[in-house]
Amino acid sequence: MSQHASISAVVSHLPAFEVRQLSFRYDSMPSHPSANRSAWVINRMEFTVRQGEIVGVIGPNGSGKSSLLKLLAKLVRPQEGTIQLFGAELGALSRESISRQVAYMPQELSSDFPFSVLDMVLMGRFPYRRGGLWNLVGWERQEDLAVAEEVMAQTDVTHLANRMVDTLSAGEQQRVLLARALAQVPRVLMLDEPTAHLDLNHQLDVCRILQRVHEQSQMTVLLVSHDINLASQYCDRILVMKQGAVVCIGPPQDVIHPRILTEVYGCQVLVDVHPDTGLPRVSLPSQDRHQTVAVSGML
Amino acid sequence: MIVHPSPSQTTVSDPPMMAPPVPLRTYEGMASWQTLRARRWYAVMGLMVLLTCGAVVFCLQFGAHALTMAELWAALTFSTTGSEDVARVIIWDIRFPRILMGLFVGASLAITGAALQALVRNPLADPYVLGISSGAALGATIGLAFGLGSIVGGLGLPLCAFIGGGLSIVLVYGIAASQGRLPMHQLLLAGVIVNAVCSALMMFATSILNPASLYRVVLWLMGTLSAPSTPALLGIGFCLLIAIVLLLRESQALNLLAVGEDAARSLGVDSDRVQQTVFLVSAVLTGAVVSVSGMIGFVGMVVPHLVRILCGADHRLLLPVSALGGGILLMVADTVARTVVAPAEIPVGVITALIGGPFFIYLLMTRKYRFFA
Repeated sequence: MSQHASISAVVSHLPAFEVRQLSFRYDSMPSHPSANRSAWVINRMEFTVRQGEIVGVIGPNGSGKSSLLKLLAKLVRPQEGTIQLFGAELGALSRESISRQVAYMPQELSSDFPFSVLDMVLMGRFPYRRGGLWNLVGWERQEDLAVAEEVMAQTDVTHLANRMVDTLSAGEQQRVLLARALAQVPRVLMLDEPTAHLDLNHQLDVCRILQRVHEQSQMTVLLVSHDINLASQYCDRILVMKQGAVVCIGPPQDVIHPRILTEVYGCQVLVDVHPDTGLPRVSLPSQDRHQTVAVSGML
Repeated sequence: MIVHPSPSQTTVSDPPMMAPPVPLRTYEGMASWQTLRARRWYAVMGLMVLLTCGAVVFCLQFGAHALTMAELWAALTFSTTGSEDVARVIIWDIRFPRILMGLFVGASLAITGAALQALVRNPLADPYVLGISSGAALGATIGLAFGLGSIVGGLGLPLCAFIGGGLSIVLVYGIAASQGRLPMHQLLLAGVIVNAVCSALMMFATSILNPASLYRVVLWLMGTLSAPSTPALLGIGFCLLIAIVLLLRESQALNLLAVGEDAARSLGVDSDRVQQTVFLVSAVLTGAVVSVSGMIGFVGMVVPHLVRILCGADHRLLLPVSALGGGILLMVADTVARTVVAPAEIPVGVITALIGGPFFIYLLMTRKYRFFA
């Protein structure tokens, strides 16, 4: 991925995302100013994502995690507040220019139409297409295929290139989606539940690939997950959300705390230490246990 | 499936804060794929163009009066003498315009059907789901009722139909669009409703028509390619050419939209613009086609499926191949329609269904077809 070289060579101190007073709700009807703020999916969020870090977003169902990702990818527009992408106002950027910087990996691949894996990965090159009279249908150029080969090797789907995507297993489909996102050569990679529906081995695969890509390219990664342990293992910082607002953001050691998690999820949790990494690990207590117990001394 | 990540793929300590080296590699494996893709596109398109030319020659030769190859050749090269002048008149004045009309109409219906199936993501979509055809039919019926059928040098009927189609485009768009967007489920519903209302009005109109006009309406609704006027031929050819260019430009965007609207937008597709473009192009082309040839069923829905079975789902290939395939199907069907019970004719829609239906069922049963499975 040659374009990474030029991007990471430009050492910039601008944050990947600068989010200020962000508010969003799905019905676009104008409401009375005094209307209940709890109707908002995202409610006055403020946070910053630095370049090159991996940030996990956790929170209960309906806390607005997926909506936040859609806002950051400009798939929906906020009613209030601002989002800056590398210092530029997101609302003013064209869809094409956003898609060259931000890759959004949806939860699952929809497979209504029979496309091959290579077709699917090459769709990631759409932001870089060159039309013109002699290439009306928009065939990919040599460099597009080079990028596709590179990312397919990275995500270990090269051997599947000519398979139809709907014949793949869930783990393989997830890797194809990742390859498509990487083919955009993004500066920011956003993943919505990348390991949902995957068994342990495939979860590990996806995480390893992510880590490898991150190490190679210093890409900023934003990851929504229900799996707190996964977020704890792989993220530099974790953003905890509840009812569309930021509860806290910080390194796993600070954020994965029984008091915070109990407040956010409304149930008792156990937090201990992962035997290998020393990072916090969450588990649910047995039924008859009603007290939050922090086993770890470092917490 | 168990995946064993090979050790060689693990990164071995790039120095931190330094850009990774640009990989110097040859992409031989990929190059062969690319040449395969490009070569396949040109090969398939070349084959389709050849098939189309073959079909044109076939259709020129057969009809109520079958010609010999010698007569055909003489007429085509304008070297007819005496007795062969009949052949020249048959070929250039009668058959060629009709065949060209069949090619244009079939191509228009098939490419519109293919684009609309991707746009609304529904395998049952055809050019007639948008409600434009009913509007055109209503326009034609009203025109006949008021005796406007033969004004403007015989172009009165197509003009009335085109005005009806145009009004229903405005109506469908007005119902479906909201805040500069064109939601697809709204579009389908609007099309269905406009269809229903126009059909009802048309039934009312036909119930009060005199028998002679009623017969013309019924014939028009069945669809026919006979005796096209030159302006109609030029008009539909022009519309088709513009539509092909505009749709091919959006063909990769249609691919992306087919795998999900959010995904497509995150990949840089301006979905609102693409949806509006494809809707308007399809609607105008459908209105034009219905105006000159009535309602010829089957081509618009089934040809895209046939092509998808044979060539895959990539709209960059699907759209042009559907267009040529639809043109071939309709030309051949029309030749059959005007030959088998000559000098009478069978409505061409009957033949398209009778040829295409069994062939489609055969492909469906023998090939593994996964479209909206």
